[in-house]
Amino acid sequence: MTTIAQPRPPQRPGVLAARQRRFAIASLSPILLYLGVFSLFPILWAMVLGFFSYTPIRQGSWFLGLGGQNPFIGIDNYIELLTGSGKPAEVFRIAAGNTFLFTALVLPLNLAITLPLAVMLESINERFKTLFRAIYFLPTISSSVALVIIWSYMYAPGWGLLSQIFKLVGLVPPKSWLQDPSADLFGVPLAMACVVIAHVWQDFGYNLVIFVAALQGIPKTLRDAARVDGASPWQEFWLVVVPLLRRTVLLTSVLTVISSLQVFVIFQLLTRGGPQNQTQTMLLSIYENAFRFSNNLGLSAAMSMVLFMIILALTVFQFRLLRTEWEY
Amino acid sequence: MNHKVWGGLLAAALVISACGTPAPVADQPTAASGGEATAAPSGGEAVELRVWGHQAPAFNAANQAMFDAFQAQNPGVTIKYETFPWDVFIQTIQTSLPAGNTADVILIPGGYTCRYSSGGQLLEVPADVMTLAQAQEIFFAAPLGGQTCDGKLYGFPAEYNLEYGGAYVNPALFEAAGLTYPPQWSNWDAVVSDAKALTQVGSDGVMTVAGMHYTNSDQLFTYFLAGILEQGSDYFAEDGRHFNFNSPEAIATIQKLMDMAQTDGVVDPIIFNAESEWVGESFAQGHNGIGVLGSWYVGDAKIGYPDLTFDYVALPPFIGSEHKFASVGGWGYVVSQSTTNPTMAWKLAAFLGADQANVFAFNSTSATIPAMKAVADDPKLVEAAPFMSAVLPILSAGQYQGNLTDPDQLAYEIVYPTILDAIQGNQTAEEAANSIHEAANAMVDASN
Repeated sequence: MTTIAQPRPPQRPGVLAARQRRFAIASLSPILLYLGVFSLFPILWAMVLGFFSYTPIRQGSWFLGLGGQNPFIGIDNYIELLTGSGKPAEVFRIAAGNTFLFTALVLPLNLAITLPLAVMLESINERFKTLFRAIYFLPTISSSVALVIIWSYMYAPGWGLLSQIFKLVGLVPPKSWLQDPSADLFGVPLAMACVVIAHVWQDFGYNLVIFVAALQGIPKTLRDAARVDGASPWQEFWLVVVPLLRRTVLLTSVLTVISSLQVFVIFQLLTRGGPQNQTQTMLLSIYENAFRFSNNLGLSAAMSMVLFMIILALTVFQFRLLRTEWEY
Repeated sequence: MNHKVWGGLLAAALVISACGTPAPVADQPTAASGGEATAAPSGGEAVELRVWGHQAPAFNAANQAMFDAFQAQNPGVTIKYETFPWDVFIQTIQTSLPAGNTADVILIPGGYTCRYSSGGQLLEVPADVMTLAQAQEIFFAAPLGGQTCDGKLYGFPAEYNLEYGGAYVNPALFEAAGLTYPPQWSNWDAVVSDAKALTQVGSDGVMTVAGMHYTNSDQLFTYFLAGILEQGSDYFAEDGRHFNFNSPEAIATIQKLMDMAQTDGVVDPIIFNAESEWVGESFAQGHNGIGVLGSWYVGDAKIGYPDLTFDYVALPPFIGSEHKFASVGGWGYVVSQSTTNPTMAWKLAAFLGADQANVFAFNSTSATIPAMKAVADDPKLVEAAPFMSAVLPILSAGQYQGNLTDPDQLAYEIVYPTILDAIQGNQTAEEAANSIHEAANAMVDASN
């Protein structure tokens, strides 16, 4: 006997919508749970801790250890950070200035290197383009710790590579590249300048790849039209390419600023904040107060919220400054 | 999608997160009752004890031998030894102990025990294992002080942390400088005299060999406190909590530390400090002739630099006529409040830290100074570790450093950078002393 499959009755729109909803919930639940547990909750927890004198080694109340020996202190942590005379607050204020200085140096230096380099890369043979792109991107995907070890050998006093090169060309190298508090380079503490160079070297490949991709996305017809109109290569770059890269510049600027404000490994391993706090950054301060000293998580949480607000404000400002109203 | 569904998911995530946080320590058994908190496993039952320590080759080798012996004596007991790099170890115990998710036995650094015992995260040593009075008979006061909190004993000191009183000397550099070896220094001036002869500066003016490297963080902190004590003063104020760091004795100590670099030129503090040319590695590489550092580095140096020829010799009193110094205590074995086998955990801790033969084995293998008086008096110790003869005579001159509120912040964020800044010529001794005094007391006030 032959069975003829009965056509499924058409589903009512409400049933379909319910199934779609269930599918969406099932698909998104894992990532939402993940984000909730590992991102949202720590952020909210840090916000809460910022209002407490909290350290987990003290006995708090039954409710998440808050209260009891970890009392609610309102905005005292924030007042201490802004005006307090305690060493952690004093160092944090120095660290905030250093972090801004670092970011202010890294951002223009990074863009000044990556944008022209990307244009040059775009103009060479495809085979070499891939090779150079890989070479420039290599430090970005390499272990930060390994790179810091390499740079620490380069910056070693006396016998380090940089000192040897200086001596070879008849120059007098500084006594110490990373630990002399009185040495500076154009007014910037020498240790900070050295970290900036090492960081830009490690990081610029990332922006380079983004710029190369953006350059490839610019319609060729626009550049052809400029050439037909008699534009020189410089005019073509400056008046056609650069304006069309504005969104990419915004993106790379935001990413570079955020990553610069959050740099940790290179400072921790290369200078540990020295000499005399000249390379102390906000993230180093947060780490030291949370984990190295007496576990002052309340103050550290307040520090991290200050950093969060700074990053948020700078990002909004950059978006407003560089926003575009057109598409191509 | 319905906003309520999203809201529900997020709320669920938060609740799950909150549930994952540690149970409040107040609800858990107190340290005093810890010994009876959980029944001991019955004989023959398989028991796994976790032990935490930091990664130090000499410590690990010494501990592993004792674990093997303990397991042989206690069939059914398995010891899982987990070690961490120093920074990771400190962070791990800081987060895991309060969370109640930690090893049964921890080899904890000196000065940390009371921080955790006050939060109820460590068990008090049961009286049937050892009383405080018994411990006072057995151990030196300085290391025992690190394991005693509010008059209660919380662990067994495994070693006597001694950054004071001894130094590493390099025979090749002494011979090259035409100096007597091994050195027999009668006073500190004699040390400085040899250090001046050992110092080497390149043609470019850069110091290549420091005659004496003392500008490391632990050393500046240790000798700062020792200098004050040796002159008969105290670094604590009358209330016992605040500090007296701007006394004439404190200023004189800083001035002496400055003079050795600035006047005698035995070290360039810009090149040689905690961040650059750390004293131990620097000594092993022949970059300093006299490396002022605790004897604990002997074991690591022998493992890390097997071809290195050196001796560990006694240093005379720094600024006074007799030795006086403060010690952070030393590493000690403690038992976590969260252990499920407190009886077996204490049995292991006592095996490691209170059994004279094992303590002898640990100290001689790890090249650490004994905290146990009987071990220090054992002539076999000097036979096994000849370098200890330099410091054994001064052990009774040490005192526990006391409640420094936050020892790490005081040492590494306040005292060390300030004194280094003075030695580098950026402030006077008086300015440095005042700066330390104010910052240290602000730290105490902030902790109230």
